[in-house]
Amino acid sequence: MLLLHAGLVAGRFVVWGETEAAPKTGTGGRAAKAKRLAAVPSLWNASSESLVATLKSVLELPRASVLNSENFLVWLPTVKGVPVPSSPILAPFPEGEVACVIAPWQVNGVALSWEQAITLLCACAGRDTLEGGVLIGNTLCYWATAMRFTGALVARQQYLPGLEKAEGGYVARWRPVLAGAEAHAASALARAMPGACRALSTEAETPPEVSAIRVLAEFLAETCDTLVRSAPPQSLSLPGAVTPKPRKSKSAAAFDSLHDQWLFALRSADGRMQGEAKELADFAAQVQEWRRPLFLSLAAPFRLCFRLEEPLLEEDTDEDADKKSGDATWYVRYLLQSVEDPSLLVPVADAWSKKGVVTPLLRRDDFQPREFLLTALGQASKICPEIEASLKSAAPDGYILQTRGAQEFLMEKAWMLEQAGFVVQFPAWWTRKGTKQRLTAKASVKSPAMTSLAGLSLDTIVEFHWEAALGDLLLSREELEALARQKMSLVRVRGQWVQLDPKEIEAALAFWNKQKQDKTSLRQIVRMALGAERAPGGLTIEEVETSGWLQEWLARLNGSASLETLPPPEGFHGTLRPYQQRGYEWLRFLGEWGLGACLADDMGLGKTAQTLALLRSQWKAGGNRPALVICPTSVVGNWHREAQRFCPDLPVMVHHGLTRTRGDDFRKEAEKHGLVLSSYALLHRDFELLQNVPWSGIVLDEAQNIKNPETKQSKAARGLEADWRIALSGTPVENHVGDLWSILEFLNPGFLGSQAEFKRNFYFPIQANHDADAAERLKKITRPFILRRLKTDRTIIADLPDKIEAKMYCNLTPEQASLYQAVVKEMTEQIEEAEGIQRRGMVLATLTKLKQICNHPAQFLGDNSQIAGRSGKLARLTEMLEEALSAGDRALIFTQFTEMGEIIRKHLQERFGREVMFLHGGVSKKERDRMVERFQEEGQGALPFFLLSLKAGGVGLNLTAASHVFHFDRWWNPAVENQATDRAFRIGQKKNVQVHKFLCAGTLEEKIDALIESKREVAANVVGTGEGWLTELSTAELKDLFALRQEAIADAE
Amino acid sequence: MPYWDYYEPSRPREAKGGIKAQSKSGFGSSWWAKRWLAVLDSYGLGARLTRGRSYARSGQVLSIEITSGSVRARVQGSRPKPYDVTMKVATLSPAQWETILEALSGQALFAAKLLSGEMPQDIEQVFQSVHLPLFPTMRDLGTACSCPDSSNPCKHTAAVYCLLGEEFDRDPFLIFTLRGITREELMTRLTGLGVSATDDSQPAPPPEPLAADPTAFWQGTPLPADLWQEVRRPPVSAALVKRLGAFPFWRGATPLLEAVEPIYRDATARGLDVYLGESAE
Repeated sequence: MLLLHAGLVAGRFVVWGETEAAPKTGTGGRAAKAKRLAAVPSLWNASSESLVATLKSVLELPRASVLNSENFLVWLPTVKGVPVPSSPILAPFPEGEVACVIAPWQVNGVALSWEQAITLLCACAGRDTLEGGVLIGNTLCYWATAMRFTGALVARQQYLPGLEKAEGGYVARWRPVLAGAEAHAASALARAMPGACRALSTEAETPPEVSAIRVLAEFLAETCDTLVRSAPPQSLSLPGAVTPKPRKSKSAAAFDSLHDQWLFALRSADGRMQGEAKELADFAAQVQEWRRPLFLSLAAPFRLCFRLEEPLLEEDTDEDADKKSGDATWYVRYLLQSVEDPSLLVPVADAWSKKGVVTPLLRRDDFQPREFLLTALGQASKICPEIEASLKSAAPDGYILQTRGAQEFLMEKAWMLEQAGFVVQFPAWWTRKGTKQRLTAKASVKSPAMTSLAGLSLDTIVEFHWEAALGDLLLSREELEALARQKMSLVRVRGQWVQLDPKEIEAALAFWNKQKQDKTSLRQIVRMALGAERAPGGLTIEEVETSGWLQEWLARLNGSASLETLPPPEGFHGTLRPYQQRGYEWLRFLGEWGLGACLADDMGLGKTAQTLALLRSQWKAGGNRPALVICPTSVVGNWHREAQRFCPDLPVMVHHGLTRTRGDDFRKEAEKHGLVLSSYALLHRDFELLQNVPWSGIVLDEAQNIKNPETKQSKAARGLEADWRIALSGTPVENHVGDLWSILEFLNPGFLGSQAEFKRNFYFPIQANHDADAAERLKKITRPFILRRLKTDRTIIADLPDKIEAKMYCNLTPEQASLYQAVVKEMTEQIEEAEGIQRRGMVLATLTKLKQICNHPAQFLGDNSQIAGRSGKLARLTEMLEEALSAGDRALIFTQFTEMGEIIRKHLQERFGREVMFLHGGVSKKERDRMVERFQEEGQGALPFFLLSLKAGGVGLNLTAASHVFHFDRWWNPAVENQATDRAFRIGQKKNVQVHKFLCAGTLEEKIDALIESKREVAANVVGTGEGWLTELSTAELKDLFALRQEAIADAE
Repeated sequence: MPYWDYYEPSRPREAKGGIKAQSKSGFGSSWWAKRWLAVLDSYGLGARLTRGRSYARSGQVLSIEITSGSVRARVQGSRPKPYDVTMKVATLSPAQWETILEALSGQALFAAKLLSGEMPQDIEQVFQSVHLPLFPTMRDLGTACSCPDSSNPCKHTAAVYCLLGEEFDRDPFLIFTLRGITREELMTRLTGLGVSATDDSQPAPPPEPLAADPTAFWQGTPLPADLWQEVRRPPVSAALVKRLGAFPFWRGATPLLEAVEPIYRDATARGLDVYLGESAE
């Protein structure tokens, strides 16, 4: 494991790391020797090899590339001569009153180029780990946030080119210009900086004391310069553009002038300028002089503010005034706005007052209002000629403009002024996206007369007609034509200022004059009603007015009317809870109309059962055609078992593993079944086969697997034809705007527009501009297709038992399977000859070995080998915990093997980058109480996972913070398991608890479980005592019990 | 046909990094540059003016230094050693300046424009209204060159004169400097106050020792909730550069704004990617 950290030393971005302390025996001698040095290596110091190898892998550098590790000092809080590591995963923080000092420790560090640093920090964004076992330490996490800050300021273009004296000459640099709100945000960011971010040094005498704000400023400056310098050109498609080559510095002679050299150096790799020192110094002074007016304005305690004042409305607010709205008189007023208190606006008249007289409101240290105003207005007049014209008088306080000018000011000039750092104030009816009131279109649809929906489809054609509306007002054709004649974008309609696009109106009018009635498919009407379409001319469709059955149908679609009640599907064995029944009806409703549905219920609410109910009903309805279910490899077995349980008469074909059907036989075989199960890996690999089957429907389980639209599996998923489509997800898909497009595009192609349109209309506005309207529009379009219920919903809780138990069938990896078979083979060879105690011992030993193999090969081999990717159970556990974590749930994980507990703990810590506590027999009473306390704690530092050994965790604990209980392996003693489960389920528990019992499908685990289930009452007596009864089975029975069924094996992915 | 026409006109040596005229036609597009060049035209230099212009275009003028009442320049001619050109300009007296400044304060535009590095359109009328010309006439000018050409002004002087037109385009204060008042003085007297000294480097913040408490040291404090403000692709690029206006004495092949606008646009896309957490391609 490696915990990565980073800091700045002498302008360099240095990455260092922490790792588990080496065993004491190995370091004793070195530590003694090292004592003579000023600083000794930190106990947690990561080796230079692991640092270099990890960074090369994360940065995707070739193995042969050079990345050097050097020695640095890091000043760490130190207790009794031992440095305190950053995370309790390494060692707990000291508790209580302990003497803690800052002391220097030696660490290996790798200085990255700023370009590499940016790549690393972008890779860290929003993650806990970089790759398995590589954790993002607090410091690196902080720098990743600071990196986003730089990204934001570069996106806003808050920087200027400069020329700076550096070691050995002058360097061309892009420097951030932080003012106003951004400067405040930057100092807030600096205040949040962990001390560890500035704890690196090369000096052992005194600890670093450079302030956080300076360290942050240096970071922002360097990353800003690098981002701008190396941004890839967007205009590659323009004629004459060439792919940029890495720019190396050229000698001064290669340029006609210093200015050309400067422009070149602003984009070159190192920014170095060459030439005579005197000449460069003069030029640097000129650059400084050129930038000076801006800094003069930005450093001032006031900002120049432009306020657009609308014409005073006279009494006659009738149509006459509307018609004359083009001649109305507006005013742009100049004001001085206080930086400290933006509500303080001072009329400029106070600033114009002559020599030496300064009004008290403007009195600030060194502030010279007249000079400030002159400078600022002079700069603003370069952007806006009207401002220049106003300066012809001795003390202007604004300028007059007509409506056309106001229109131009609102749509163009105001932006430019704001961008240049001035403040602009608008009338209340203006938002950043235009006037609050906009011209919209309304479609009135006539429902064809019919009594039932039978025989209708989305392709049914309906008639409708258009109307134009302004808010609640409907506009007549004449009014619309009058508006179009004004040829203005800003007009007054019935006393209200409204922004319109004259071209839009004209286009709409032209269209509507041609045909008053319009016809379209029901599918289009749905899109129009959800806001996914625009009216002719590009007008937004505000409303689709419907009546009769269509109104009712649309109400059902958007969830405002309840769906038709259906009987539970025939042939479905099991009882759907009321909310599951509603989910089934919803899936049926959308499926029958050919609309895709995303069922995103919380984990454990029974998405599989609801889907199987639908699969069963559609199998019959769809003429016995098969449906395809694609799921992660780890749950193929589970789907199979669940299908057998809920729909025993539904023929299931598992298309998975090395023995799967290929070639022409595939389609024939598939058509004999009602359900074909396969994995994401095969979705792409066997696409040719899958494409050939006329599927009734397609289900994607764990649909977040296709969140990236560019992956092969996403493309394959979109490429399959079917009558209906379902995506299942346990994570709140609607919260990840970026992932939504790909899933919706699979479900309902075209609803969110092309990917580029989606980014423009929703992704950027929502993510970057926090645009609430765009978020609302997106919700409106997607709401009918996403159903997400939470365990905590009151209506759901009422439907749920307090404790839900489910078995989770996992697959074996090929490695697990071959180990399993080897053990079984060994036993069957030897058992014939064995008798009595020897035989009993052999059976029990085999049993243990097989259980270990089902858990993890590393547990069986006991060799401390690699953990990830070798156990089906562990893979599934990880996936489910990830889902639980994303829902903010906490989980208990029980195992009966201490060694397995250690493996799980190590794996989870490295995978999630969070501390995982492990309560086993060796934990002291005091420590155990502390663990329980920490698990039950609320708030930010809460620990989501708690690992317990079945024996130690079985009694006397109260762990009601958990809402999931995992039994990683089985005791085959319901009483013991229930006792453990009850840790989470106690009096006072307000949540539902979900119990997940893990089994490996096709192995003895499944068979013993089935045996116990079939003889529950027998089990309680016979089995209840443990595993001893197994030894009494005949050899033939044992062979059958232990035999491995082929389907258990997962395909290697 | 006069005999001297048989001689090849002497060719100047190629000069690199000299001040090259930017505009394709004429020197300086502003009215005050044109006004300045009109004085040169009034000399009637003929062929010398033509040669002077082509010198100015090909970058033969290596340097220009402007001080109160005088201009010194180095021009690369046909000899290896560049020629020295000097111009003397008659300056206005402090009392004359006082009269002018009084007249200028009638319109805010004059001070605002001058403060932001531009020459107000009708400033010359203000000078004329008090009968003090801003631009030197032939009478106010004395020129000299170290070249062997006996005619004065020579082509080297003409080249410098042309380029001064362009320099005035970018820094109108040079005209004032030539006429005897520095930028600082002009500003002080126009605004009624001294120009604030500003610098974009801030005073160094005080040292901040590291906290020994492990939680504070490793975890810092929670980030402020309002750290992220709206991030919008700017509708116009390089607004800060636009606000600053033209760079004085620009000698680059492309105007500064034109050169940096695409850089700003490209960087916005990259900044947005970084901000939104998308991998930079």
